[in-house]
Amino acid sequence: MSSTFQSEAFGKRLARRHAAERRFRLLGLGAIVLSLAFLALLLFIMLRNGLSGISWQFLTGSDSTDPALAGVWGATKGSLLTMLVTLAISFPLGVLAAIYLEEFAPRTRWIEWVEVSINNLAAVPSIIFGLLGLAVFINTFQLPRSAPLVGGLTLALMTMPVIVISGRNAIKAVPPSIRDAALAVGASEVQTVFHHVLPLALPGILTGTIIGMARALGETAPLLMIGMRAFVASPPDGLTDPSSVLPMQIFLWSDEIDKGFVVNTSAAIIVLLVFLLAMNALAIYLRNKFEVRW
Amino acid sequence: MMLAVVLAAIAALGVTGWFTARAKARLLYSGRGSMRATANYHGLHLALWIVIPALLGFAIWSSVSPGLVNEAVMADPAAAQLPASDMERAAILAETRSIANDPTMVAFNPLAQELAEPMRAAQTRYALLGLLVVAVFAFAGGAYGYTRIKPEFPARTRVERAVMLLLLAASLIAIITTFGIIASLVFETSLFFRDVSPWAFLTGTHWSPGNAMGADIDENFGAVPLFWGTIYIGAIIAMIVAIPLGLMSAIYLTQYADARVRRWTKPALEILAGVPTVVYGYFAALSIAPAIRDLAASLGYSNPSTESALAAGLVMGVMIIPFVSSMADDSIAAVPRAMSDGSLAMGATRSETIKKVVLPAALPGIVAGVMLAVSRAIGETMIVVMAAGATARLTADPLASMTTVTYQIVQMLTGDQEFDSPKTLSAFALGLVLFIVTLILNIIALRVVKRFREAYE
Repeated sequence: MSSTFQSEAFGKRLARRHAAERRFRLLGLGAIVLSLAFLALLLFIMLRNGLSGISWQFLTGSDSTDPALAGVWGATKGSLLTMLVTLAISFPLGVLAAIYLEEFAPRTRWIEWVEVSINNLAAVPSIIFGLLGLAVFINTFQLPRSAPLVGGLTLALMTMPVIVISGRNAIKAVPPSIRDAALAVGASEVQTVFHHVLPLALPGILTGTIIGMARALGETAPLLMIGMRAFVASPPDGLTDPSSVLPMQIFLWSDEIDKGFVVNTSAAIIVLLVFLLAMNALAIYLRNKFEVRW
Repeated sequence: MMLAVVLAAIAALGVTGWFTARAKARLLYSGRGSMRATANYHGLHLALWIVIPALLGFAIWSSVSPGLVNEAVMADPAAAQLPASDMERAAILAETRSIANDPTMVAFNPLAQELAEPMRAAQTRYALLGLLVVAVFAFAGGAYGYTRIKPEFPARTRVERAVMLLLLAASLIAIITTFGIIASLVFETSLFFRDVSPWAFLTGTHWSPGNAMGADIDENFGAVPLFWGTIYIGAIIAMIVAIPLGLMSAIYLTQYADARVRRWTKPALEILAGVPTVVYGYFAALSIAPAIRDLAASLGYSNPSTESALAAGLVMGVMIIPFVSSMADDSIAAVPRAMSDGSLAMGATRSETIKKVVLPAALPGIVAGVMLAVSRAIGETMIVVMAAGATARLTADPLASMTTVTYQIVQMLTGDQEFDSPKTLSAFALGLVLFIVTLILNIIALRVVKRFREAYE
């Protein structure tokens, strides 16, 4: 027996196996390093090109044909208005739908269809939502083109499934004992959910909402479909004014030939990434601060 | 503006109703058990009876008033000069409307200027009428609700029933959206297929909608090169990048990395998924594509183009990495610990265990993750718009410029086209194909994931 383990052939094979083990481990590490290196390269190039373009003039100006005068405030305001519409529609609808599906829905075929369509909508390409927005909001309802209202509606349809899915998970995580306790002292089912379950699930729902909103903020393709690509030289004043959004401004500037717009594009990307980073940081903060382990 | 004022007024009426009913219910209160519902629920009940009819009235008015305004304008003597064709008439009326809303505007068409005054008068008239309708609805509902405030009235049950209806309605939005997508895509596609035969569209190999005219229209709407470009970039090049990198990252994070490394690396990887696609597109066009072109030139390619399938696919692959990695992570984590422990106890090294035991067990989940990743990659738009190019060609050369379904959708819909030309409509046909393919991929993948989870639970 001992001779088998001490034989030269066995030793060699063991060494080979251990070498393979090390190679495999390095391969894994290499994959992560490579992916993160790509991210670092992307950020580095944007910072190198764009940092010099960030100035007060840039942050407060609107689009212009002269790269030195062009700024992002017009697009940022458009983005804020659009996000306002998106949030105002998708958050209440998403939360209500999540409550219904998780707490009240009967297990029927019909509800199964609702669930399938929500899971599927979360994975439908965003450009399809743009086609829907174009066909329904613009061609059928005759809403104004390139307005934050239409952009917000379109993005709300896209964001709602994300909020429903995260909302359901948050509601599911609230332990049944909370519900039992409320019901036991005589609360009705609706009171139980709105007074006890929902407040406990809210941090989780908010985290999901912020992540969904961050995705909507960076979205370009559906807005391209509904015509939010106009040259807008002054910030929009209302929900129906023609407007642009930050990612669209990046896209429009990236097409310009003037060298100055390379700086502007990268600077606008930095602004957009700062917004997204802030939103994600807020989501992580909320999760860490309010997450309860039952 | 009008909308905000009306909604605020309705809300104010609702709040008033709430206070009134609460006050009245409190007067009725005569000790424990004397009322079936608390004053608060009586308040909510009355508020609902005010707000819902008012909103209903407002909705009815908003849907009929534009028609009535137009009719009033048509009755004006000046309207007799309007052209008979519906299209032109609608254009002039639209212009009239914008002048009526914004007096500073200068009319392009003198007739529109002339009609603006009657239109403004009609608008004011019908707006007042609309307010009246809303008020009547609100007060009628409110009066009915007010008479219901009695000690034995079960206000809470009624309010809760309304809440349940609201919840149900909210959950139906998803199915309505799905239905809306299918209906609008199918409708516009059917218009497209009146001009172009479906067979020619799905099997033709020549795509140049720019020259599509008259008899040979079928020959210029062959979408096969677009399908090929989409598959080549999204399902082949991007996956060659994303699957090994994503899978190896997931293996390293779940099997080798200690908790500290994992805590920092995982969110960092997820940042890759959070970067907007327009940023990736710009990065691909600005840095990756020229680098690839230079590399190709130094390898002896003659005249390589700046836009290449490789650049778009490569960047798309990087974007997909965190997606593949997190799906693989989940499936690997779902494999029972006992299986890998058993293999390790038999003397297999960790990498042998991973290759022979863990990965085969996690395979269904990983495959489903890859399917979802493919569905995301083929629907991705901005990267290909900015880096892939506009030329539809059937080639396997990764350095050639290639176009995709999403690119063409954008191309067809962002020009100044009239809406029902075959060129514009083709975007919807392409959208329908894209929707069906991603739908199939998603449904299969979600089902596999579900079954896979159940198998190890």
